[in-house]
Amino acid sequence: MTLELRAISKSFGERPVLKQLDLNVADGECVALLGASGCGKSTALRLIAGLDQPDQGSIRINDAEMVDVPAERRRVGMVFQSYALFPHLNVWENLELGLRIRGGTTGTRDARISRVLEVLQLSEYAQQRPSQLSGGQRQRVALARALLRDPLVYLLDEPMSNLDAQLREDLRPQLRRLMIGGDQPVVYVTHDQQEAMALADRIAVMRNGSIEQIGTPRELYLQPASTYVAQFIGRPQMNLLPAQNGVTIGIRPDDLRLDSDGWPCTILSREWFGANQMLLVRCDRGDLRMVCSGETTIAAEPQISWSSDCEHRFDGISGRRLPSA
Amino acid sequence: MTRRSIWIALLLVWSLAPMLWQLVSSFTTADALVNEQLSFWNRWTLNNYRDLLSTDPPFWRYLFNSSLVASLTTLLTLVLAIPAAYGLAKLPIRWRGSLRTAVVGAALFPYVLLFLALLELARTFSLGNNLIAISIPYSALSMPLALLLLTAAFEALPNDLEDAAKLEGLSLWQRLRWVLLPLIAPASASTAILVFLFAWNEYPVALTWLSRSDLLTLPVAMARIAGSSTYSVPYGTYAAATVLGAIPLLVLVLVFQRQIVSGLTNGAIKG
Repeated sequence: MTLELRAISKSFGERPVLKQLDLNVADGECVALLGASGCGKSTALRLIAGLDQPDQGSIRINDAEMVDVPAERRRVGMVFQSYALFPHLNVWENLELGLRIRGGTTGTRDARISRVLEVLQLSEYAQQRPSQLSGGQRQRVALARALLRDPLVYLLDEPMSNLDAQLREDLRPQLRRLMIGGDQPVVYVTHDQQEAMALADRIAVMRNGSIEQIGTPRELYLQPASTYVAQFIGRPQMNLLPAQNGVTIGIRPDDLRLDSDGWPCTILSREWFGANQMLLVRCDRGDLRMVCSGETTIAAEPQISWSSDCEHRFDGISGRRLPSA
Repeated sequence: MTRRSIWIALLLVWSLAPMLWQLVSSFTTADALVNEQLSFWNRWTLNNYRDLLSTDPPFWRYLFNSSLVASLTTLLTLVLAIPAAYGLAKLPIRWRGSLRTAVVGAALFPYVLLFLALLELARTFSLGNNLIAISIPYSALSMPLALLLLTAAFEALPNDLEDAAKLEGLSLWQRLRWVLLPLIAPASASTAILVFLFAWNEYPVALTWLSRSDLLTLPVAMARIAGSSTYSVPYGTYAAATVLGAIPLLVLVLVFQRQIVSGLTNGAIKG
């Protein structure tokens, strides 16, 4: 099963939200749409689901044109950021409603629901209302509902953004096991680069309604196509040194090292995380973030340097990547 | 806390005292109402109720008429207003504002100004003296308020819920039936009560549309009791009529009180 977006444009009133968007998601592939809020990533997802109509362009699932197919018959499984569970129904009824409407015998229906509840460890909550569940449980019910849809495509709209960090890490393996890596293409919208790196086969970094760069997490990290991508992928953010001769230099905080022959700096702040620590230092080329081992003792005025292989070179005006010197 | 309870007590006295007064009056003989000297044991009677129920047609006939008209009106209003309110809630924002203003305008319009026109309509289409027909103008007059309440209820529902239902394969009517209607049930209940009350209490239209004595609704029938004699006002009978006329409403409110309260405060729906 495949998903293919061709030259999709969409505007709300005068404001263009998506501009000529192209995207291919292969059989069983997970593509994360990553970007700041308002970049059009959620709109792209709603267009795929059929909840909004594109102004132009084509959306194909398994080579069948979908633009004119109403959302009810598109067979997509979507997990909403708000989970969108029906508050007046208990967990079982939430899962049953769609199955009942779409037909099938009571027996097979009950068997499927029980199985999904078991897989997601929700069996004991079957008779509870969504309001009685914790955030993580609600999220699992929403996953269960999407799984029972038998979809051609999975669409996940910031499915974990309302959960605390601990729970997110717990849920990631479940998500990978149940949805990602099956036959269906998965589109995963998020603004959390760590989540995107952890789950996606490819990441599309979006900006102002178009894809700034698409590639594997590794490609995006090692060869960011622009300063925007460079700053979006990798934490702490990449340091950008102000342009000299029209060239902006980017250096990852972990590529900086202490070096007695390096640039003299003063320490502005220091955050210690145990395994590593982050320093904010000021040198005459600007402020730099630097990550080093937690054990390292730092002088009050350290000297730092970096190897020129680690430099990412960007055009000082457009921010596009320049071929390495 | 004690201050609050004092206020609540005052409020209760303020609103319940007139009802209690009516209740007491309805069981009091006509003599006792004007004569303070009468001893406590000689004041009480059931005659007011007996008079009321032995007239022709008996008083329960008016209760039935009013119940019928009010129920029909409520039903008709909800059947029309719920889909309309859904439509209004889904309109693009730029149209919604002006339509909302029009509906508020209609809700604020003093409907007594319409009653001559309504009378003409009743004449032209021979709708007079028909308990089913009178629920048409009643529904029309309740429509603006019903639309306002129900539109607000639909707008308060998170859009994601309907989107999720759509992706589950539910058609428009299935979404209304299985998702939206249950979720706006509190608002529908409070709207229904308000419409029912309006139809129950309505006087000018009923006065002009209904003239046959076996078809009168409560307010008109009660006005007739009050005006039945030129020389005296039958306070006791009048009070008994008020008491009987209030009982169905009390029952209704008691049965639906939870929905009414949650519908009026409108904090009932949370994901």
